[in-house]
Amino acid sequence: MTILYNCGTVLLMAGVLFFLSGTVGLLRFPDIYSRLHALTKADNVGLGCIVFGLALQSGSIAVTIKLILIWLLVLIASSASCHLIARSAMQKNIQPWTRS
Amino acid sequence: MQNNSCSCKNNICSHPVQQTLLRFSLFSFLWYTLAGPDKTSWIIGIPAVAFATVLSQMLAPSSRLRISPVGALHFIPFFLRQSFLGGIDVMRRALSFRQLLNPGLVSYTTQLPEGSARIFFVNTISLLPGTLSAELHGNQVTIHTLDLSLSIWANIQRLEYHVAALMCISSPGKENI
Repeated sequence: MTILYNCGTVLLMAGVLFFLSGTVGLLRFPDIYSRLHALTKADNVGLGCIVFGLALQSGSIAVTIKLILIWLLVLIASSASCHLIARSAMQKNIQPWTRS
Repeated sequence: MQNNSCSCKNNICSHPVQQTLLRFSLFSFLWYTLAGPDKTSWIIGIPAVAFATVLSQMLAPSSRLRISPVGALHFIPFFLRQSFLGGIDVMRRALSFRQLLNPGLVSYTTQLPEGSARIFFVNTISLLPGTLSAELHGNQVTIHTLDLSLSIWANIQRLEYHVAALMCISSPGKENI
């Protein structure tokens, strides 16, 4: 039980790290497209780590199913809205930042 | 001239009632799991579930979504691994002192049939390491990448293969859904 609980804590801390790096990326990356990368990928993995960490700590199957469903819904919503934001930026002719 | 005589466009949707019931029970399960066993939550829940069912019937009337169990067994570990790698990749680029970005746009022609398979594919691209789907025109996907030196084509092709296996599409491009 405590082993599972501690594994959960490690996953929670990893999740916080991913969220932190996503936010740093949002602030540091040069244009809208690369910022979207930072937000969607790092936050999805961060939320995944937090969901699985909490699932390990809860020790209940019902709570685990609920958490995984929440994660899946967030995955769908964030990848769809990421695509929509990128598409609207493309349609407004916002050129991506390039190295040169 | 359009032919509107038949309300059922495909000969596949032979059991519309069955399909509605299936969707209704799926949304009910979703509500029950999220809201918990409290019975009063169904005051909001039943209208919400009914609305979701009607909306899904309007937006995607003929669901021919066939998920292959074997494909799913291959897809889920692939997806989890790739999204984890994507998170690590962003973390590395965000936290490094040097600017590690070399972004650019890449165009890809998908062979997946129109409909749920293609939309699923486009949405999953954004979760792979270094790629983000920016635009979809027919079968042309415009992809933004964080690093042009990554092996984008190989990654996308692998994803396309996995999506085809997941959705029971034996040879992408040949079959017409």
